[in-house]
Amino acid sequence: MVGSKRGDRILNGITYAVAIFFALFCILPLAWLVFTSLKPETEIVTSLGVKYIPDTLTLKNYADIWRQSDFPNLLKNSFVTTMTTVVLCLITGTLASYAFSRYEFPGRRKMLLGYLVVRMFPAVMKIIPLFIIMRAIGLLDTSFGLALAYTSFLLPLFVWIMKGFFDALPDDLEDAARIEGCTRLGAMVRIVMPLVRNGLMATTIFVAIAAWNEFLFALMLTTSSGSRTWPVGLQLMIGEFQLPWGLLAAGGVISIIPVVILFALVQQTMVRGLTEGATKG
Amino acid sequence: MATYVREDWKTRQLRPIDRFNPFIWLGSVSETRYWAWYLLVPSVVVIAMIVLYPTLYGITLSFREMRLTRPDLGTGFVGFEHYREMLNDDIFWLSLKNTLVWVTSAVGLELSLGLASALTLNRSLPGLKWIAVIVLLPWFLPNVVAGNMWALMLDSRLGVINDILVRIGVLDQYKAWFADPSTAMAAAVVIEAWHGFPFFTLLIMAALKGIPDELYQAAAVDGATTIDRFRFITVPMLKMVIVAAVVLRVISLVNSPDLLLILTGGGPGQATMVLSLYAFENAYRMFDFGYAGALSVIMLILLMIFCYCYVRASNVMANA
Repeated sequence: MVGSKRGDRILNGITYAVAIFFALFCILPLAWLVFTSLKPETEIVTSLGVKYIPDTLTLKNYADIWRQSDFPNLLKNSFVTTMTTVVLCLITGTLASYAFSRYEFPGRRKMLLGYLVVRMFPAVMKIIPLFIIMRAIGLLDTSFGLALAYTSFLLPLFVWIMKGFFDALPDDLEDAARIEGCTRLGAMVRIVMPLVRNGLMATTIFVAIAAWNEFLFALMLTTSSGSRTWPVGLQLMIGEFQLPWGLLAAGGVISIIPVVILFALVQQTMVRGLTEGATKG
Repeated sequence: MATYVREDWKTRQLRPIDRFNPFIWLGSVSETRYWAWYLLVPSVVVIAMIVLYPTLYGITLSFREMRLTRPDLGTGFVGFEHYREMLNDDIFWLSLKNTLVWVTSAVGLELSLGLASALTLNRSLPGLKWIAVIVLLPWFLPNVVAGNMWALMLDSRLGVINDILVRIGVLDQYKAWFADPSTAMAAAVVIEAWHGFPFFTLLIMAALKGIPDELYQAAAVDGATTIDRFRFITVPMLKMVIVAAVVLRVISLVNSPDLLLILTGGGPGQATMVLSLYAFENAYRMFDFGYAGALSVIMLILLMIFCYCYVRASNVMANA
């Protein structure tokens, strides 16, 4: 790069200052959430204003929300719904994205565009009919029904991101496998799938995080503790039972732990897949 | 023993029972000309069942009466009744206006933050890679946690942001941000921006990586200053991805009322009522499915205009 040593040093200084600002901007609210969850309720709500140095730190909030509320059950429901969504997307989405990436057939572009356009339908427009249909066939207030609803907006996303990962592999792979006597299916399962493993993992985790976090569909489509997911349960606890802040913070921290861990595990591949899918589509 | 197993595997290939081995059977199916279609069938069936059918059903609902709380009204067709009702509905017009304010200010703020952070984090200096990971984190956090976390920090009794603002002398006393119509929307926009700006960071960083270094070097040789290079290389190269990102973000902001539902529920009064939230409230609290359906059809039409711009502006099918 051209420029004086001094100019460079100033520019680097500014870069680090801005970068640290953004890091703090993103992490401090989370840190405050964790900090609040570790304070006893009497030190969260005080008559003297905010307490920055608490007298005691405690895990009582975590114990309380785990034992005294429905929270473990909510997490279990969320887990079941998330897993069902992942399986539905994984099976149907992997096959579809492979076909879109590898084969040329009439209507391919139109269908791909269709998978993009369905993402633009307003949520409410799908929620109402899904509510009516699921009530009619007995899927309302079930984890499977909710997972189906999630699939309606996560499957198109899954197909687009996965298509990007398949596109990144050279076509010669299949050609070589077919010359060796593999069937098309054999080439796909034995050759391509192992190579696209990381991308598949990242896309799956992306879908899982989205399903785990979802709030609106769950609010409308679950009505009892039998299938209610944690975001809805937590929000209702705040509204109806005036949940103390400490418990709320503890619940929030517990529920984002899996998200943070999964994100950390695959963030590099996931970011690559997201940006390739999004900049192309 | 090993030889025996291998021989067995070889002879088994020839046995007629292999017709029932699913992998071999599917393998031969994969050689037929409709294989690509077979791969698509499961997802197309799922999409048709849970997206296309419900959406079409939702559109017809907007022309029908359907209130679960008033079964006496029946579920007959009422034509454009709901749309006529909308014209005289003050809350509809207010929420349309609020939607415009909400979406433009949130997207504007997110784009500025995204651009600033991406340009910063794209420089190849040690440590910035890790900061980039931290910056992406808010985007993956659930609305429920992000919303309530900020509600906690902005609380009128124990909010840490209030405390800091009082200490540095910006405020005289703690402020109930969400109880005041003049600040509720602004506070919600800031929270949305915190939650959503990493999306722009992500896309803009990817676009920046795609600009070849040779362009900058050639420009530098020709005597272009840093500012020139930014203006004549970076900005034009980023234009397309910014257009695409903005439209994608607008779509999801118009469509999803989640954060406002969690933070304000449209209040105080109707100060933060947006179209998607109004439609959801009509469905969730009033069970007036017909009117809620009509509201979402209007939203879809507004978004279709954006969708059209999106395909045009970003030339989305060029690489597909």
